[in-house]
Amino acid sequence: MPDKPIEGEKRVFMTGNEVVAWAALVAGAEIMYGYPITPQNEIMHYWTRLAPKYGREFLQTEDELSAGFTTVGGVLAGRKAFTATAGPGNTLMQEPMSMAEAMRLPTVVVIQQRGGPSTATVIYSQQEVTMTTLGGNGEGLRIVYSTATHQELFDYTIKAFNTAWKYRFPTFVLGDGYQAKMRESLTIYDPASRGIELVEAEPFLGKPGVPGVDRPPTQLRNTYNVEEELYEVLEGYFKDYEKIAPEVAEYEAFDVEDADLVVVSHGVVSRACKAAVKELREEGIKVGYFRPITLRPLPVDAIRETASKARQFLVVESANGQMARLLKEAAFGCPVEMLSLFKPGVGITAEDVVSRVKEIAG
Amino acid sequence: MAKAVKILLAGEGGQGVQSVAEIIAEAANEEGREALYIPNFGVEQRGGVSIAYLQIGDEPIGAPKFQTGDIVIALSDRAVHRTRQYVGPQTLFVYDSSIEGVEDALPTQAKKILPIPAIEVSKNELHPRVFNIVIMGAVIKATGVISVEEAKKAIEKKLGYKFEKNPKLRELNFRALERGMELVAQAI
Repeated sequence: MPDKPIEGEKRVFMTGNEVVAWAALVAGAEIMYGYPITPQNEIMHYWTRLAPKYGREFLQTEDELSAGFTTVGGVLAGRKAFTATAGPGNTLMQEPMSMAEAMRLPTVVVIQQRGGPSTATVIYSQQEVTMTTLGGNGEGLRIVYSTATHQELFDYTIKAFNTAWKYRFPTFVLGDGYQAKMRESLTIYDPASRGIELVEAEPFLGKPGVPGVDRPPTQLRNTYNVEEELYEVLEGYFKDYEKIAPEVAEYEAFDVEDADLVVVSHGVVSRACKAAVKELREEGIKVGYFRPITLRPLPVDAIRETASKARQFLVVESANGQMARLLKEAAFGCPVEMLSLFKPGVGITAEDVVSRVKEIAG
Repeated sequence: MAKAVKILLAGEGGQGVQSVAEIIAEAANEEGREALYIPNFGVEQRGGVSIAYLQIGDEPIGAPKFQTGDIVIALSDRAVHRTRQYVGPQTLFVYDSSIEGVEDALPTQAKKILPIPAIEVSKNELHPRVFNIVIMGAVIKATGVISVEEAKKAIEKKLGYKFEKNPKLRELNFRALERGMELVAQAI
């Protein structure tokens, strides 16, 4: 059996779904649980081809509820487990991921967003932001990375496993149908060759020592009899989340210092926005670019700082304001005017963004 | 900074537009250029017009799809109708000259409209199965996005296992590539 999936690094040209499978492999994922749904199917296909060569496992379940709960089970057994889904599958996934939130389990889920609501299209959207960041009957105690390129899809899938196991919050990589299906180049690598240390998985049960004597007892609960008991546990969780949020939050920005208007986007749409901002700058129009990489937690300080300098935000997304809603909460009280370019379930090009900015500028 | 060349290929399932786009994209990547290829896909398993969006440049590519192509290639009646929306004043519009009754559907705003007899040439001179390689030749001649050598290497990489069994296939494919290039050269 080959030792390492990738020695050193390698430039490759592949689809985003294949990228995810390679990333999970080098991140040390031990098992994938999955149920097919377009556009993420090929993550499973590539994983099932690659995994046996490196002693990793795969289980196809009967639906996404089951794929989510078996992922929870795999993690409870102390394994680096993950799953991938999209659209209506993501809807079903919210129930098991709420359980992962309740028990603070480091599950990793890759989402390739498709059109919604319901079956809608199998193609593309950014309409799973609300659900992925705040889904389930809880408070959104999770971490969500929104990727824009194949390189990021690789980097952040590796990172998702580390973040999950380090902080013990369910972690999501939020891609989309375009990223899933398109081919572009990237460099895949052995994390060790870049000095990336993989956080080890460990079992939750059967730890050495006497519970309550040698170590604190392991409490794995998603059920409480008393209101106050739940409240006390959640208070602890919120404190933990608040503490780690500034460490986990990431963003990308340029040309925001002197910008009148800042274009704010996330994920694949930010590629169009980046090109548009560069083009507009060349024409001498004072625009800036801001992109949260983590949608949960958001980079709140950076958003507020940017929103205090710029007069206007142009929020661009392939949804009807799902990220805009999160931004408004983060920037509450800042004097910035929020303008929008929303195309739910439809791709956005640099030309779309340029003409909207010019329309605003008048 | 030169902008990426935007190529749109559209045809019926089985005409091989996706594999042409994929081979060109991989060849460009091999040459060290930036390439992005995305197929359109829907819930239908077959029967729809198959579209490939391909962009090649020297800087990282922006959005995966685009509004206007630099070159738009339509290989069937339905593809002509479907691709009109991607044609602008700078677009070279190429379609197969055997497609009948589409005169009224041809885009009016294109920079140039180029009918080429790719279907006829592949059927009569070569083999119907290398039709997509004829198209590939037409694309690289019209855009210059990759060199002939790199195109041949990419074909070898993709079909080399077939060529080993039957070396005549190599000759046939390379001839198809060259014929595709000639068709465009003649028409321009």
